[in-house]
Amino acid sequence: MKKIKISLFNISQLILLLLLCAAGVAEGRVYIDVTSPGGRKLPIAIQDFTGIAEGPGVSDIITSDLQFTNLFSFVGKNAFLETSDMPFNPDNWRPLGVDAVVKGVFEGTSDSSLNVTVSVYDVVEGRNILKKNYSTKKDLLRPLAHKIADDLYEAITGQKGIFSTRITFVGYDNADARSIYLMDFDGQRMKKIVKKSSLIARPRWSPDGKRLAYSSLKKGKWVISILNFDTASETEVFSSKATDLVGDFTPDGKGLLLSSSSKGSPDIYMLQLNSKVLTPLTYADTIEVSPASSPDGRQIVYVSNRSGTPQLYIMNSDGSDSRRLTFEGNYNTAPEWSPAGDLIVFCMTTGGRFQIATIKPDGTNLTVLTSAGNNEDPSFSPDGRYVVFTSDRDGVKGVYAMSVTGEEQRRISPKNTRALGPSWSHN
Amino acid sequence: MKRLVVLIFAVLFIVSCAQKEVVVPDQPPPPTRDTARDKDTAPKDTSKDGRDTTSVDKESIKDRGLTEEEIRAAMQNVFKNVNFAYNRYDILDESKPVLRKISDWMLAHKSVSILIEGHCDERGTSEYNLALGDQRAQATKSFLVSSGVPAARMETVTFGKEKPLCPEHNETCWSKNRRAAFVISR
Repeated sequence: MKKIKISLFNISQLILLLLLCAAGVAEGRVYIDVTSPGGRKLPIAIQDFTGIAEGPGVSDIITSDLQFTNLFSFVGKNAFLETSDMPFNPDNWRPLGVDAVVKGVFEGTSDSSLNVTVSVYDVVEGRNILKKNYSTKKDLLRPLAHKIADDLYEAITGQKGIFSTRITFVGYDNADARSIYLMDFDGQRMKKIVKKSSLIARPRWSPDGKRLAYSSLKKGKWVISILNFDTASETEVFSSKATDLVGDFTPDGKGLLLSSSSKGSPDIYMLQLNSKVLTPLTYADTIEVSPASSPDGRQIVYVSNRSGTPQLYIMNSDGSDSRRLTFEGNYNTAPEWSPAGDLIVFCMTTGGRFQIATIKPDGTNLTVLTSAGNNEDPSFSPDGRYVVFTSDRDGVKGVYAMSVTGEEQRRISPKNTRALGPSWSHN
Repeated sequence: MKRLVVLIFAVLFIVSCAQKEVVVPDQPPPPTRDTARDKDTAPKDTSKDGRDTTSVDKESIKDRGLTEEEIRAAMQNVFKNVNFAYNRYDILDESKPVLRKISDWMLAHKSVSILIEGHCDERGTSEYNLALGDQRAQATKSFLVSSGVPAARMETVTFGKEKPLCPEHNETCWSKNRRAAFVISR
């Protein structure tokens, strides 16, 4: 967008332009209805970004992000009639059957100060549907590309993109040492964030994405710790000297659901993080573990073997009115609630192997999503469209992702990393 | 004054209309303290045959007057692994003679404390297996308490399915991996 000489405007002109601007931004047309399964894919052309040598790399990341969603079809660059530096002309795209065109132009020569203007065009109506300017540094082109993909996705679908979200998991350094790792949703930019404990259980994100809660063995005892990204600090928040395992943050981020065997058998507790008040929610002498909060905070799904085998149960957040959710199979564990609250994803045994399945909170619509190898530890993407999980289908355990209907299953953690216990950030 | 208001509006307009955004680094969390020194109470397996994983902290045992020979004898003859059925943590009848021998030894060596480790086979989810391992260790401890060993001389820890003895993916290995193992801790 061109710089505007502000001194030329008077108030009435400004108000008029503000209205025009607001109209442009508030454009509400939805090009893909992400809620309709098996809908038509939107044919899109993403042109190489220009202005710097790394431009095409940025547009390639955006392409790869959109490919992940399985909602778009792509026209190959070879077929383009319009080069990146030519102005948009719908007549160049209609013959290719393209509905949307993306262009990006970088400006600025310094590595520490780059600007890029991204434009998205609707070929059918021959108009610009998104024009946005970003500034960044050269070493942050990858997060920039994800941010652009998020905006593009939102302009086209009306839904928030997940391309800037991250996934944490537990990686094996060797047989006796584990670390917590963090990577982008596409498996890139992997880094170790908590080093070497002999055992670390699956971490869980706080709702604001600024903290990770996890259980690990420290000096031979299970301890629950919270890693705070803002302050770059790690705090031990709970240890009963028995087996204490993180379940889930409450939706307000102030409480932690956990299981502890301090009274002889694992039970579910709620720990208020500020006051450190610990409230028991179950009192059985059987195993009660893996509590996960519903998105509205009113209910908790958890695992209990009170029937003789591990099954899922749902109770109110104060521990009352527990009812059994799963009746199929003799092993149902590791539940997590979908962000919209309409599904619970979990791990179940079928045919002697462990698979990822979903079920509605009323116990209907049990759907098994995986079939290859053994699969566990499912976790929803923040938009509820994808599930990340652990699988041993390729021999070594790795982190995989798929759509919530089980399509497009693929490994996202690097091939040479033994990775398990993934958890998808909520933002 | 009027000019200033115009200016402020103009700035607001440009900000909102151009939607200029700055992509900042996504707060890469710096590595936290190295917890490598938080070492397990369980040293590495002392044998490779998967039969006897009893380990000892030899330095501290010496202080209490146990000889190397006594330790080796206890490891070989007394502190044998106790196995469990799939997904269960009740003490099997076949394990009871082993546990009675352990309780006899513990009653004869009153200065010695032990750590009981609960383990699982590789099947199932990590978290549930940690709970299952916890219950295997606790069931073993309860049996020894009922045989007269003071609870204060026994600690428990679960390793879930994370520390298998036997690496293969079959019932022969699984049955060895579903175990309570003992460590003479002091």
